[in-house]
Amino acid sequence: MDSRWYFVFGDLLANLLAGAVAAWFSALVVGPGWPMLAAMLVAMALGMLVSLFVFFPCSILFGAMEVMLPAMFTGMVSGMIIGMWAAMHPLDSGTALLAGACCGLVCLSLIWLLNTRLRGVRSYG
Amino acid sequence: MDEKTRRKWDRASRSFDLMASRGAEQRWQPAKRELFGHMSGNILFLALGTGLDIAAFPARQRITAIDISPKMLEVAQPRIDAYDGEIKAEVMDVHELGYADDSFDQVFTSCTFCSVPRPVQGLEALRRVLKPGGELFMFEHTGSRYYPFKLMMDLMTQLSRRFGPEMNRPTVANVAAAGFELRQVNHLFLDVVKTIRAVNPA
Repeated sequence: MDSRWYFVFGDLLANLLAGAVAAWFSALVVGPGWPMLAAMLVAMALGMLVSLFVFFPCSILFGAMEVMLPAMFTGMVSGMIIGMWAAMHPLDSGTALLAGACCGLVCLSLIWLLNTRLRGVRSYG
Repeated sequence: MDEKTRRKWDRASRSFDLMASRGAEQRWQPAKRELFGHMSGNILFLALGTGLDIAAFPARQRITAIDISPKMLEVAQPRIDAYDGEIKAEVMDVHELGYADDSFDQVFTSCTFCSVPRPVQGLEALRRVLKPGGELFMFEHTGSRYYPFKLMMDLMTQLSRRFGPEMNRPTVANVAAAGFELRQVNHLFLDVVKTIRAVNPA
């Protein structure tokens, strides 16, 4: 991941937005009474799809893969969590948006950590 | 010439700079400068596109650059003219390289093998025109080995291949399959964005 402030800000913005929007859509679609497994799977797929609407404009400003993969991961996790939550209790929009943004922050942190492990030089021969 | 691929990139030339010139290019610029800093001798640059990479070229090099899309090269022309060195740009398909065997000391690619229709054959063609012991330098994004990223990139490729690149290519394995000797892979973001250095065995 990039340590330049412009891209740190961009990564944060994209993931907070992707998480919030995915959560909001999931809470809109899934409601109390949904079977838990169906709620999880539908909201995961929906979250991943919806995150693309955040990715496209953000990619122009902040990068390609470095925006797409975290945003899709955030959308998937945020959709899953909020979808399952919404299947148990009715969720208002504000709570869904806030919880989704928190998912975005956590997911981005996880990707930062994973990237720390994966990046670097491998030499051959 | 692969007409389907040419048409795809001719169409993409209209919006390519809007999509790639700011975020992606600025983010990748330091790594590209470092990679292209190795340029010396007779150089082939594959898939010049709209010439965004020229900003990362070291000055005073003699570079032969090809692209399958004439429209892309039209957009690139002002950047070619402004380069402090010599860039000879030609419309050419990597699968049908019109150069003699062992013509170049080095070959460079930049986000190219996500789009070449038959990547191993394309790399074999590069090996043919590269001198024995010559070096291949690549800046590429590839597929990921890790879930859920692998799944995401497989899904995105179903969409992205219609208007641009594929996102799940095993480019490092393709380089080896084409007969190059891998020297170094530098992972820049996860196992997805990377630079690759390889040698044409003598």
